[in-house]
Amino acid sequence: MTPGSGPSVEGLLRELAPQVLGAVVRRYGHFDLAEDAVQEALIAAAEQWARDGVPGRPRAWLITVAARRLTDLLRAEQARRHREDTVATWTLPEDRLSPAADRVPPESDDTLVLLFLCCHPALPPEGQIALTLRTVGGLTTEEIARAFLVPVATMGQRISRAKARIKASGIPFRMPAKPDPAAVLHVLYLIFTEGYARTSGTDLYAPELTAEAIRLTRIVHRLLPGDPEVTGLLSLMLLTDARRPARAAPDGSLIPMDEQDRTLWNAEAITEGVALVSAALPHGPAGPYQVQAAIAALHDEARTPADTDWPQIVALYEVLLAMTDNPMTRLNHAVAVAMSSGPEAGLALVATLADDPRLRDHHRLHAVRAHLLELSGDPAAARTAYTTAARRTGSRPVQRYLNTRAARLADTGRKPG
Amino acid sequence: MKYMIMLYGSQRDYDAMAGRAAGGPEWTPEQVAAMHAFMTKWNQELVDSGEFVDAQGLADPVHTRRVEPGPDGRPIVTDGPYAETAEVLAGYNIVECASFDRATEIAARILDCPGPEGQGGLYVDVRLIGGAPDDLGT
Repeated sequence: MTPGSGPSVEGLLRELAPQVLGAVVRRYGHFDLAEDAVQEALIAAAEQWARDGVPGRPRAWLITVAARRLTDLLRAEQARRHREDTVATWTLPEDRLSPAADRVPPESDDTLVLLFLCCHPALPPEGQIALTLRTVGGLTTEEIARAFLVPVATMGQRISRAKARIKASGIPFRMPAKPDPAAVLHVLYLIFTEGYARTSGTDLYAPELTAEAIRLTRIVHRLLPGDPEVTGLLSLMLLTDARRPARAAPDGSLIPMDEQDRTLWNAEAITEGVALVSAALPHGPAGPYQVQAAIAALHDEARTPADTDWPQIVALYEVLLAMTDNPMTRLNHAVAVAMSSGPEAGLALVATLADDPRLRDHHRLHAVRAHLLELSGDPAAARTAYTTAARRTGSRPVQRYLNTRAARLADTGRKPG
Repeated sequence: MKYMIMLYGSQRDYDAMAGRAAGGPEWTPEQVAAMHAFMTKWNQELVDSGEFVDAQGLADPVHTRRVEPGPDGRPIVTDGPYAETAEVLAGYNIVECASFDRATEIAARILDCPGPEGQGGLYVDVRLIGGAPDDLGT
């Protein structure tokens, strides 16, 4: 018994949350109600354990309390239904009738099964993200709402809808017959990028989201150590997050990579990230996360901006473009080309992207253009482009950075001579 | 010969035993403990006499799925098909003993199980397992 151990209780509960939910759903079904029941058990535990100490078998304690709560929830639901004379029936999905799938359930960890369930293609991406953070991450609806800057009621509805969708689709609680971690990795990647590069609000980061994305990716990596893309994604996250301490000025505005104090970068994270991607790359053809991790590694290993191996980065972006036609990748490629072959070459590539409907109104396109125009010695056009970019982002720190750049060029312009 | 002694209860009985009575006598923790002690002793006596085969209690009736053919032939599943007051199988004991009369004797002891005052309607059913007696030589 360890009374008053606040942070460790929280850590323990976050770790146990998916295991407990997995155990309850495996045993009783009813994913939607079981999820509510587990949340209530976690809340009860947070209060009781902090006060009285952690019980001897915390996982069993949580499962027992959650199962009892689930029974109550089911009783209430069934009593209401019988009163209203309605029945809850569902049809077994086709794939559950094929004996092969049922006879050989692959070895699986409940946390991984839950991840696959939450990232099921039947759910919209925002539902996948919210449900993953709540059921696998053990975050409360309030915490998720705060992290995504939406009202709690909105996030609550998003989670309820996602749970209803899972219930309606009758997805069984087990590993898919052909588990493809791509959907899971994409959700984890989205959680990370929302934390690392907020799309709106007053803060540059949501560290709770980046930390959670890394934690969950570590779990997936532990469960699927042989999957090079899982390794690649973990490496990419670590190598990107390593630069976080140098990325914000004291006033909260964004500092671009070439102006960052590289001594502030997290050396430990860089070492781990580089080791991971180096270990993953020899395993067959590299997937997009490994290539992005390799690019991040080249940035992180350059002691000064001038040391950056831009030709190698250009080559890696071209590998990436051959795999996915992502407009943001094209834009990054243009930057790398500009850095290795001069701003004009980069601007020519940016010009080809100006009409892409996916990018046209994105602040990054205009910010990159502004930066390259500045490098090419056209301050007036650069200033206009910086201002255009600033108007197109909802992130205050990024706005501040872009407007400062524009103002600096305005000052230069006004100087005589 | 093997017999199954079947015990019944409704979701309401389960609730009463969990201390949440609705329209019936509530069980105190002491009464629940006394019931558990009684059942343990009953089972132990059967183990000692060599007549015990198996005994199981079933979870709350709300945790029930009924599977039946749907209109298009695909199985449909009903969650929680029982009404709260419906008496359903709550547990069973399988005994192997000399005769139906001996099995009935064993079953009758259950009626002495302690519980709250005024709990009525307690009954058990005894059924022979398998259709034909062993000594028909089938």
